[in-house]
Amino acid sequence: MAAANPLITADAIEATEFMDLSRKYRVTGVPKTIVNETIEIMGGLPEQVFVRAALDLPEEQPET
Amino acid sequence: MTGWRHNQVMALLSPQDEATLKQHLSSITLPVELVLFTQAFGGSETGDVAKQILNEIAALNDKITIVEKSFVLDTDDKAKYKIDKAPAIVILSDGTDTRMRMYGAPTGYEFVGLVEAILVAGTGKIDLEPETMKWIQAVDKPTHIQVFSTPT
Repeated sequence: MAAANPLITADAIEATEFMDLSRKYRVTGVPKTIVNETIEIMGGLPEQVFVRAALDLPEEQPET
Repeated sequence: MTGWRHNQVMALLSPQDEATLKQHLSSITLPVELVLFTQAFGGSETGDVAKQILNEIAALNDKITIVEKSFVLDTDDKAKYKIDKAPAIVILSDGTDTRMRMYGAPTGYEFVGLVEAILVAGTGKIDLEPETMKWIQAVDKPTHIQVFSTPT
């Protein structure tokens, strides 16, 4: 995502090495993603579901 | 004594891993610089592990180079790349910051992530669905993503 937009930075953090950060963000399971200190995403998700959650986009409406 | 490199530490990648990885990395066309920040004193020994892993990867493709920086002494570079903890790996594509960082030793799942990041930096290709790309490119405010994982 960072490679696709210059406004995005992406950090991969080894949770056991940086315990203080893991505690700060309450990382009790991995993977856990934090976006802009506010959005929390637990676990691995399909690409579109993950990106929607990370960018705080509205839920996809089922087609009627 | 043939084949025994007794002046080296044990390789982290097996010959099979190396062969597979070399194949993956062969698609790289752009120079990739991996800037490694470590702390020699008072830091964790995972800095040494990170250094060994990066050296083993760089040995497989001559477009990949390692630049070592001190987390304590190289304060200008630290500020330039906004590094606040070590070990840290900054990934540059043809001299340009990709804004992808890895913190801690890149073993296990992190290793897979590192290789994927190197491939993005080295090919300029991002393996995402067109619709997802549209959403990402529409982002108009600074967005900081932190992904926590463990080696196993």
